[in-house]
Amino acid sequence: MSAPSPTFFMRHEFLIRRLHSLSGLIPVGAYMTVHLLVNSSLMNGPASFQTNVNQIHSLGSALPLVEWTFIFLPILFHAAVGVWIIRTGKSNHDNYRYVSNWRYTLQRATGVIAVFFIFFHVFHLHGWFHGEWWLSRVAEPLGMAQFRPYNAASTLAEALSGYVWPVFYLVGVAASVFHLANGIWTMGITWGVWISPAAQLRASYVCAAGGALLLMVGISALVAAMRIDPVEARAIEDGIYDARVTAREIEPNEHKRWVGPTVENEVSDAEVNKEEQQAE
Amino acid sequence: MTTQRVVVVGGGLAGLAATMKLCELGIPVDLISLTPVKRSHSVCAQGGINSCNDQTRQLGDSEWKHFDDTVYGGDFLQHQPPVKEMSFWAPKVIDLMDRLGVTFNRTPEGFLDRRRFGGTLYKRTAFAGATTGQQLLYALDEQVRRWESEGMVRKFEFWDFLGPIVDDSGNCKGAIAQDMVSMQIRAFPADATIVASGGCGLIYGRSTMSVFCNGSAASRCMQVGAKYGNAEFIQVHPTAIPGADKLRLMSESARGEGGRVWVPRKAHDSRPAKSIPEADRYYFLEERYPKYGNLVPRDIATREIFNICVNEGLSVEQGRMCVYLDLTHIERSELDRKLGGILEIYEKFQGVDPREVPMKIFPAVHYSMGGLWAGYAKNAEGGLTPANPANQMTNVPGLYAIGECDYQYHGANRLGANSLLSCIFSGLFVGPCIETYMKGHKAAASDLPASFYQGAVAKHEARHSKLLSGNGGENPYMIHQELGDVLTRSATVVRNNQQLDEAYQKIDDLHQRSKRCSLSDTGSWTNQNVIFTKALQDMFPIAKSIVKGARLRDECRGAHFKPDFAMPSLKEEEPVARRREAEQWCDRFEANNAKFLKSSIATLQGDDPEISYEDVDTGSIAPRPRLYGLVGAEDIEEVWRNRVAAKQNKSKAS
Amino acid sequence: MQPSDPTTASDSARHPQKINVRVLRQDGPGQPSYWERHQVEYEENMNVISVLQKIATQATTVEGEKISPVAWDCGCLEEVCGSCTMVINGRVRQSCSALVDRLLEENGNEIELRPMTKFPVIRDLMIDRSRMFNALKRVKAWVPVDSYFDMGPGPRQTRVEQEESYPLSECMSCGCCLEACPQYLKIELHRRPGETDEQFEERKQAAYGQGFVGAAAISQAILFNMNPTGKNIKDERLDALTEPGGIQACGNAQNCVAVCPKEIPLTRSIGRAGRQTTIHALKKIFDK
Ligand SMILES: Cc1cc2nc3c(=O)[nH]c(=O)nc-3n(C[C@H](O)[C@H](O)[C@H](O)COP(=O)(O)OP(=O)(O)OC[C@H]3O[C@@H](n4cnc5c(N)ncnc54)[C@H](O)[C@@H]3O)c2cc1C
Ligand code: HEM
Ligand code: HEM
Ligand code: SF4
Ligand code: F3S
Ligand code: FES
Repeated sequence: MSAPSPTFFMRHEFLIRRLHSLSGLIPVGAYMTVHLLVNSSLMNGPASFQTNVNQIHSLGSALPLVEWTFIFLPILFHAAVGVWIIRTGKSNHDNYRYVSNWRYTLQRATGVIAVFFIFFHVFHLHGWFHGEWWLSRVAEPLGMAQFRPYNAASTLAEALSGYVWPVFYLVGVAASVFHLANGIWTMGITWGVWISPAAQLRASYVCAAGGALLLMVGISALVAAMRIDPVEARAIEDGIYDARVTAREIEPNEHKRWVGPTVENEVSDAEVNKEEQQAE
Repeated sequence: MTTQRVVVVGGGLAGLAATMKLCELGIPVDLISLTPVKRSHSVCAQGGINSCNDQTRQLGDSEWKHFDDTVYGGDFLQHQPPVKEMSFWAPKVIDLMDRLGVTFNRTPEGFLDRRRFGGTLYKRTAFAGATTGQQLLYALDEQVRRWESEGMVRKFEFWDFLGPIVDDSGNCKGAIAQDMVSMQIRAFPADATIVASGGCGLIYGRSTMSVFCNGSAASRCMQVGAKYGNAEFIQVHPTAIPGADKLRLMSESARGEGGRVWVPRKAHDSRPAKSIPEADRYYFLEERYPKYGNLVPRDIATREIFNICVNEGLSVEQGRMCVYLDLTHIERSELDRKLGGILEIYEKFQGVDPREVPMKIFPAVHYSMGGLWAGYAKNAEGGLTPANPANQMTNVPGLYAIGECDYQYHGANRLGANSLLSCIFSGLFVGPCIETYMKGHKAAASDLPASFYQGAVAKHEARHSKLLSGNGGENPYMIHQELGDVLTRSATVVRNNQQLDEAYQKIDDLHQRSKRCSLSDTGSWTNQNVIFTKALQDMFPIAKSIVKGARLRDECRGAHFKPDFAMPSLKEEEPVARRREAEQWCDRFEANNAKFLKSSIATLQGDDPEISYEDVDTGSIAPRPRLYGLVGAEDIEEVWRNRVAAKQNKSKAS
Repeated sequence: MQPSDPTTASDSARHPQKINVRVLRQDGPGQPSYWERHQVEYEENMNVISVLQKIATQATTVEGEKISPVAWDCGCLEEVCGSCTMVINGRVRQSCSALVDRLLEENGNEIELRPMTKFPVIRDLMIDRSRMFNALKRVKAWVPVDSYFDMGPGPRQTRVEQEESYPLSECMSCGCCLEACPQYLKIELHRRPGETDEQFEERKQAAYGQGFVGAAAISQAILFNMNPTGKNIKDERLDALTEPGGIQACGNAQNCVAVCPKEIPLTRSIGRAGRQTTIHALKKIFDK
């Protein structure tokens, strides 16, 4: 969905702005909150994270549909309209240095950051599309689409190795969280929930607290991801995978599994591990 | 046939009230104003607007008493029919403003709250915080905007009214005005023209008025033959904040809410005001006028303050003349609720919190009782006949005057909170009168030959280009400063003939110099320089009328005070002698009224005004000594009561 | 007030003898703007208006060049008429209540004056704010009484209601709130060759009718929605507030309330408008 033409936008400005406002919270805001919570389950080790991811992926073939209708399209809508809104204003915080005015500018700045972050982030881990051609010819050669649902923790950990990506994520998370927290505050005025200056002040405290909490949740996931040792994690994940396959919970699906660069010995390693486990 | 229109000059309370009333009667209006009408000087009005009301009624008040207070306050110099009509309309006017959404202060139960103002013993004044004029003006502005959006009103804001258009038979057929942005001059054909251009305080240089109040519009009417009445009566408000660019008003409501005026008994007492004990404070108004206290009429309060500083040398400061206006004994919250607006003004411009420290104030030029002469049609009850074309019409047929720029309602001195009333009243009342007038003149002015209007325009274009090319080397701003100084010195609180004679000479001199101005801006786009110079030149006819009127009036009446002709206060102590003295006082009083209870009427002959006199209609309330229960004047009042009684018996007998 | 070097003295304790003033001038609409430097004698508690008055009287720049006086707008000189708004030292405010001493504390020994940036410049510091009055028409900011005849008093209102509405009724259309609003953008049209006053005016009003109404007008709409009789056309006002340029254009920067010289609780009005329009919009969907 491309940016709506100004005239059309003008004619339905009120409705669109309210939808934009709403979409920021539901589904986008809501999704992000859940998403960050799920991610933070990395703290309890690969296993629990894996189970969470498994739950999401138990949707199976319905998943792409769900992702696009409830996550991608709403974000694209919100982003597109958001960008348009940004273009309807002209920040002036250097002449009017009030906190609220800084927030106004930051709301827009973080919005833009979020666009880039989300685009690359999804590309980086998810890859946007799961078509064979796309993954093997475009995404993976570019070092994207790194995430493997059935090796959730380990692939994530590897994807986040080094310094560049973690920093990128830190910025992205911080920006998105501020944007949500402040967004909810402005929403309350836009929709007329908090009206008196006193109420607006109280609301801003609540939003700030909520934001801080969510930020910690987000960071905790990052930290956890960096602490994890991929090899150990993968062993556990594979264990869960095999168990579920043998239990007929899922069909074997190599796409959703990690495939190492030198397949052979990796596999044999896995074999060895398995034998050892069985031996004990 | 084309429809008839009315041109209204001025969008203050008066002009807007007239405009909306005319629209309601289906008459389209062209509204001309120097400034967006919402910014008219009426926004400055602070204290409130008077009417007899349910509360005061139960304390013995009535429309009649409001009427009586107004003429007594004006020292009987106004024709009584218009004043009577106004007083009886007052409650209706306030009801209407209430309906229009004016945010008047309320009692806890939800009725209009009232405060007491000068020159009365009743709480007649309805108010909206300390910005009553603003709220009233906005209410009318909103109604006019409503009519504008329905196409009934065309606004011409940032337009300068250059004069009425008068045809050969002497009827007014519209107005000439100049766009102050594009400098275009054009004619506004109209079947009736209303001038509602407000006061002329700017003539005095610094006053409590807005910069728009330069009297130019009234003067330009004089220049086509309109008469100007009671010019010499200029109200000097007792309490203003001295300032470099303006003397900002400290409203009478400050005293209405309990503010007390005092000076230290010891001259220039250096102690901080609050630390001066009661015993060392001189509450001179309360001591001299126990009955009215701080709420004596303005002319009296002003003279007392002036006297304390000038003659008794008790000014609070050594260098600058001022007295204390003290509110510090009143609850903060209450002050904020009722006086917030004006206290902020003081705080903003003086940097001192008047809730904590007594304010320093001094009198300042504030209001012009005089103005364009306007007629009226009396009815059997001594009020006005509604819808009669004569009401508010100047001596130029088809040219009407309302609001502060007419001379009708306030005589020799205006009571606080009566002006907003007279402005709205005259505006509402004139509508039907004009409707009748126009019915009598069927042909629409817009049907007159274009050449007629072109001729009128040409005259003014000539004046304009003459000014631009002027090279006499005079600086209009300097001349204005000098004019202000001369008038402030000679024609404010205290006047004497020698000074006035000198002043007239000086002013005439300035008048001639004003014709030799060289402009620093000769452009043809938003040239404020030339607009100002025109206004300056047109200040002189009024300035001269003020001084000449004052010179010729050898008495004391209301705001006009000449010590040389003051009525002496009683000196004899011994009762009989004192009684005799009182009798003589009253004889002299009656003789003086026979001579001077007349409105001065100025008509322009070339550069100078001719002054003639007009008897005043005192049909409803006979003139009486204006003493406001001054301590020591009881005997006079008693003697006078007896005389009145005697007269009545005589008239009964015959 | 002892003599001191005008270029160094800044604090109000040691007054400069002369004040330096920079004015951003513009000879007319669409013309280039240029800075001009002036110097005027210092006086005790001067405001910007008296500075401009001195400049008008002098009519010469620091460089001694003869110039036409600066054009500006003022009226009441006591911050109640709204005429004299300008951008002083980078911040919008009323020039009549802008005291020189404070300004010098703010900005060394120089005062910088520029016209408002959100309205078309007529000349120098004079701007055309007719868009504000257009906005008042858009939101029908009036009480729709049916006549001006004597119909007795208006509906009774409690003191609480009065204290709610009085502050809103103090708006003097000065435009500070709009100048400082990042969502309020300048709309300036230029006359087309051969266009009559009427046509040009029409085109302007049409353009204004599309732009953001701004905080002041939103607050007025709320004021009249509170009035017992004003309520009768509440829906029409809310329709106006949901049309293009309505309440939705506000981005909650809240500069408006911070700069309003009358300290009008604009963000409260905006919150109210938010709630009223929300309900209004839902009603429109479900009531029919
Ligand atoms: C500070 C102050 C406080 C006051 N407080 C009170 C009070 O509390 N109670 C009370 O009753 N009275 C009060 N008054 C008096 C009262 O405010 C005025 O008398 C009244 O507002 C005058 O209204 P108006 O409509 O006659 O004229 P204004 O409101 O002065 O309007 C004059 C109109 O004429 C226009 N105009 C003038 N000249 C020209 C021209 N040449 N061309 C085109 N248009 C022109 C102006 O643009 C303006 O629109 C106060 C006055 C002052 C100065
Ligand atoms: C702590 C930081 C984050 C981590 C570790 C993280 C991790 C992940 C992972 C592993 C996926 C892949 C899921 C899959 O492919 O099924 C993913 C997808 C996604 N993430 Fe994040 N994420 C983080 C922050 C964010 C933030 C701040 C947003 C902003 C809203 C976001 C939005 C998304 C979206 C939209 C997807 C794709 C939708 C989906 O796959 O279901 N993520 N994220
Ligand atoms: C992807 C790029 C994004 C852009 C360009 C963007 C832009 C914006 C802008 C400009 C606003 C201000 C709207 C206004 O004040 O009227 C806004 C509001 C909001 N945004 Fe975003 N945003 C983006 C992503 C997000 C994300 C990821 C979330 C959720 C985490 C989000 C949640 C919100 C919320 C809740 C609001 C409040 C709406 C309101 O004020 O009524 N946005 N967004
Ligand atoms: S709301 Fe305040 S800032 Fe805005 S126009 Fe009104 S008075 Fe001026
Ligand atoms: S500054 Fe502007 S964005 Fe809204 S809150 Fe005020 S109107
Ligand atoms: S001159 Fe009226 S607000 Fe400044």
